[in-house]
Amino acid sequence: MKTYLTSIFLLLFSLFGYSQNGHLYGEIAFNNDEPVLGAQVVLRGGNIERMTSSGIDGEFAFKNLPYGTYTIETHSLEAKPHTIEAEINAVEQTLKYVLEITEFQDLDEVHLRTKTQKEKIEDEGFAVNVIETKEVSQRNIQTTELLNTTVGVKIRQNGGLGSQAQFSLNGLSGSAVRIFIDGIPISIYGSSFSVNSIPTSMIKRIEVYKGVVPGYLADDALGGAINIVMHKGTKSNFNASVSFGSFNTIQASVNGLYRFDDSGFTVKASIFNNYSDNNYKVWGRSVVDKGLGGVQTPIVARRFNDAYRSTGGMFQVGYTNVKWADQFFIGVTGSDDFKEVQHGTFMTTTPYKDRFLESDALLANLTYQKKDLFTKGLDVNINGAFGKRNRNVNDTVAKAYSWTGEPAIDFKGDEYDYSWGSQQEGGPTLATIKRNVASIRTGVSYGINRHHKFVFNHFYSGIDREDSDALKSLLENTFVGTRDLDKNILSLTYELNAFNNKLKANLFGKYYQQKTVNIDPFINSSTGQLEDDVTSANNKDEGYGFAISYALTPTISILTSAEKAVRLPDEIEVFGNDGDNVIANPSINPESSENFNLGFRFGAFRIKKHAFTISTNLFTRNIKDRIGLPIETSLNVNDETIFYENQGSGTSKGYEASLDYSYNNNFKFNFNISQFELKIVNRGVEIDVPNTPFDTMNAGLSYGFSDLFQKNTRLNLYYNLYYTGEFSYIVPQGSNTVGDDFFKVPEQLAQDFGLSYSFPNEKVVMSFDIKNIFDKPVYDNLSIQKPGRAFYLKLNYFINKF
Amino acid sequence: MKNRFLNLKTLSLACTALLLTVSCSDDPDSPVIEEEKEDSSRWITVAAARMGDNPGDGNGGTLIYSISSDDAKAPSVSIEPFDNGFIVPSNRTARLQASEDGSTIFNISYAGDTGGNYSKYTVNGGQNFVQTGTGVSIAEYVGTAPRWIKLFDGDNTGAAVYVSTVNEVDDNGTPNDLLDDTYFRTDATIGVVTLDLVNSTINNFEEHNIALSPELEAQGYYIGRIDMPTLNAAGDKLYIGASIRKVDPATTERESDFERLGSQTIVLDYPSLLNPTVIASSVGYGDTNGYRSINAFEYNGSVYQANQNDPEGSRILKIGANNQYDDSYDFNLDEALGVQDAYILAWRPAANGKGVLAYRHAGSVEGAAGAQGFFALIDLNAQTATKIDAIPYEPDFYLFQYQGFAVDGTEIFVTQAPVGKNGNIYAIETETGEVTKGAELVNVEGSHYIGTF
Repeated sequence: MKTYLTSIFLLLFSLFGYSQNGHLYGEIAFNNDEPVLGAQVVLRGGNIERMTSSGIDGEFAFKNLPYGTYTIETHSLEAKPHTIEAEINAVEQTLKYVLEITEFQDLDEVHLRTKTQKEKIEDEGFAVNVIETKEVSQRNIQTTELLNTTVGVKIRQNGGLGSQAQFSLNGLSGSAVRIFIDGIPISIYGSSFSVNSIPTSMIKRIEVYKGVVPGYLADDALGGAINIVMHKGTKSNFNASVSFGSFNTIQASVNGLYRFDDSGFTVKASIFNNYSDNNYKVWGRSVVDKGLGGVQTPIVARRFNDAYRSTGGMFQVGYTNVKWADQFFIGVTGSDDFKEVQHGTFMTTTPYKDRFLESDALLANLTYQKKDLFTKGLDVNINGAFGKRNRNVNDTVAKAYSWTGEPAIDFKGDEYDYSWGSQQEGGPTLATIKRNVASIRTGVSYGINRHHKFVFNHFYSGIDREDSDALKSLLENTFVGTRDLDKNILSLTYELNAFNNKLKANLFGKYYQQKTVNIDPFINSSTGQLEDDVTSANNKDEGYGFAISYALTPTISILTSAEKAVRLPDEIEVFGNDGDNVIANPSINPESSENFNLGFRFGAFRIKKHAFTISTNLFTRNIKDRIGLPIETSLNVNDETIFYENQGSGTSKGYEASLDYSYNNNFKFNFNISQFELKIVNRGVEIDVPNTPFDTMNAGLSYGFSDLFQKNTRLNLYYNLYYTGEFSYIVPQGSNTVGDDFFKVPEQLAQDFGLSYSFPNEKVVMSFDIKNIFDKPVYDNLSIQKPGRAFYLKLNYFINKF
Repeated sequence: MKNRFLNLKTLSLACTALLLTVSCSDDPDSPVIEEEKEDSSRWITVAAARMGDNPGDGNGGTLIYSISSDDAKAPSVSIEPFDNGFIVPSNRTARLQASEDGSTIFNISYAGDTGGNYSKYTVNGGQNFVQTGTGVSIAEYVGTAPRWIKLFDGDNTGAAVYVSTVNEVDDNGTPNDLLDDTYFRTDATIGVVTLDLVNSTINNFEEHNIALSPELEAQGYYIGRIDMPTLNAAGDKLYIGASIRKVDPATTERESDFERLGSQTIVLDYPSLLNPTVIASSVGYGDTNGYRSINAFEYNGSVYQANQNDPEGSRILKIGANNQYDDSYDFNLDEALGVQDAYILAWRPAANGKGVLAYRHAGSVEGAAGAQGFFALIDLNAQTATKIDAIPYEPDFYLFQYQGFAVDGTEIFVTQAPVGKNGNIYAIETETGEVTKGAELVNVEGSHYIGTF
């Protein structure tokens, strides 16, 4: 990595030495902050008349101009004409101005601009995918489904709507992947405001950074980060949608923003409600009804204890596009969810009845954004949230149920109770976890000029939790230790833009600091009073990395990035867990990983009406000091002396590729593929990590018809195909073993079809989707079947002008 | 322009080729590996535990492979269960049992979606195990990770047990005042199920609350884990091994370093599974719930039971025909072997009261997966134990998960292979102590062998 750094710095110095008389650099934005692409800029003055057009960032330049005063006229299809005077009296003169958007815009052009934003991020050199939600938000598509079709991302869900989801980025999963909403960790909102529940209509775009995470999203993300960017527009708008579908699924959401143009006072609100019975059909080796003597009869059953509801909303007031702020909001986010639990980690012959989880969160939030604060080029961005979230587990029913949904009978033919008194082994529980959470992210960037920019970012996140169980006595609840965790991450980024935007470089360093506190109450034997025994541990580490993109030609770019990434041990890994007899190991080291990406992008090639783009990325992840528990041995099986330790190393390497093709901007085809291998080394022995889907492919087709039944209407047809290769729950076996099939998670191949129809005034869009058309059994995890064929109908209503 | 188009074409071809690269599995159908057996011989089923995450953890699958007892004793024979074996359907290490003649293997799946499912297989040699009988599950009685054992009643019955505990606290009528709360006991509810191995049906199930003496309970002692049901000689009582745990009455937190009680065993009427009592030894102080292999055996009218975690080193205890501990019998392994901190990992007597015992002790080397293990030849009557020196012991020879000893008359078969290294079957003639080095066991990295059936 050092060699890379050296060459970057050499490059940087060579740029400073390059200057001549009288250059004018301009930057144009619309009054909604989006850059103006492709506007015609005409410069007149003296004998000179020159013309150019603005680039992706709204930038333009006129070079070698004699000192003097010039008139600059700007014409854009989307804005009112604009004229400004500029005086050239320095070697390098910069000019920024804003165009006012005209009232008549057609949707295609808006679409073009958002795509520019996507390309802008994807051009920075990171291994990043930007998913736009504009089109899918009108369809019956969940955020998780959308992410799952993104190359290199795999989501494994334990069932239908609202079920537990695990994210993997290029093979790294669990706590190696951090998920944010506008830079704030999604975990602070709890499960009620999550990727499972947030409607796509609240989301502007999703950024998926694989392996290398830019400084502005700094966290201890070993394998990458997913950032969900909510809508930031400042135009008054309103939309509402409602969707009905199979398994009694109803999803509704309402979003609105109103801005008082005189004062800039802005009110934003969103609410959503999701509900599903998730009573889809399941079958297989554990779906049986039991009779006398325990004799089993295989049946096809409907899941009967799997309903899910989530409700939530966000309300913000503040000012937009005023002198002192581009965006300033304070508000609240509240959410609440309820999830029945049909079974544990696996679908067994003993399904649960009336076990459920509840969670809620109430947080205050703050947003402040200002470009060119105090001085030109100084941008400030603050995002914070703090509040409380709670989680309850309720399992108090002892009666056993069969997969038929009726009470089960025992070997004698009688209904019976489980001897452990609850559905899940381990005894009845009304466990509650209360957490106080806070997180704030502050970003300050300073652009010296068009070539050089520095970004400083500070991220704080803190959680303290308190556990209790209403079924336990005060005595037992009191002596359960509590844990606090405070994390500070600082990052400094240098961004370089050189050779007419051909080279973009991003260099960053990150500093991690985490304090974990363990509070263990005890009764002081001399005073007889309850006191707290407080111990704490501090972890510090550093990371660094870069991303570079270089455009060899306008259609061929190299994108490469690398990072030494860190994941700090969490509070359980540091302090252990009394319930599991795991003791503290304050000297545990963070996990770290050296992540590399090398990508190419070819395109977009345009030949007549055909356009296509091919992107590929090769990646490796080299993980060190993986944190894990030691194996059970005769020395530790009966005592309480095990603790988390740094065990060994691991590697993930593979490639991903995607192809996008369109004809006449109307017929679209996309395809992506990802393959990798994941190995870990423990005590010198290397093994292939089991229970990991290594091969995934997705393909999509869409086609639009205009004016099909009426004028000014549009019908879009969609078809999608999802493939996940077979994988084994256990480690690879020998060449000639038998019985392997028992552990196989079979190949998944699901096909979806959808259509959406927008009515003439563009205020109403209706969409219809069929998922898993051929009703194939689909599994993400061993034996846990996901929903079969399902139908959904959705109505969207928009008002964009008040 | 022409030039550029050519480039483009080449590039797109290259990319399409890349996109279409889909892994092909090269999985030619290999022939079934067959083994043969003379009528005079019996099947010896070897069990092997593949590494999961860590060397020696055995979590990567339990594989079984059968050879004739003649082949098992032939050093010229070499077998590769990791390559050619049958993977027992169990998410974690399977707890296997075999019929006394070795012709049938019984399994109850441990954890996972089929955890608690009983299945039996006819042994046909090699990797050929044919499942017989219908499916039945004991998960609803004793959970999906059941602790079960085949009873020695002619391969007719299996028994499995479960315990759940709850602390009982007197809040003195003031639920919000902490300082007047008093812990008075931890209640242990046990469940015991018996399974008809022949007809694959449940025989019986009973639950009981098990109490220790009020004095011990007030100090925080309770039965925290139970396992290893064993039938007495008369066939009218079932003994269940127990591990005693303790909480601190002041905080209800579990203690790790506490004064150990005499070894305890729960006694139930059989087959009714009623009338539980707890008996205690005044000789041994360790737990009697074993780990994965059978921990107690009936011999000559009494039940001999190993204990673990005894501060004076593991013992074999005796429960007499009167269903009480016979405290006149004190077979201490530290004394018999002349070592410190002997720990019985697994053992098995033959019908002559002589047997083979797997153990570790304070002098064991810490190997790849844990403390090094050894085998000893023991005599229950003479109360003697002698390390078997004819078997090689390497630091990585790891016996913690050891499960099975196939018994053929007075001969006992064991597997010997250090973690990740090849080893052999050894046949031990318990009458004479003669050791025969048998078939080679081919190993794979991080894996080990866990016995014969």
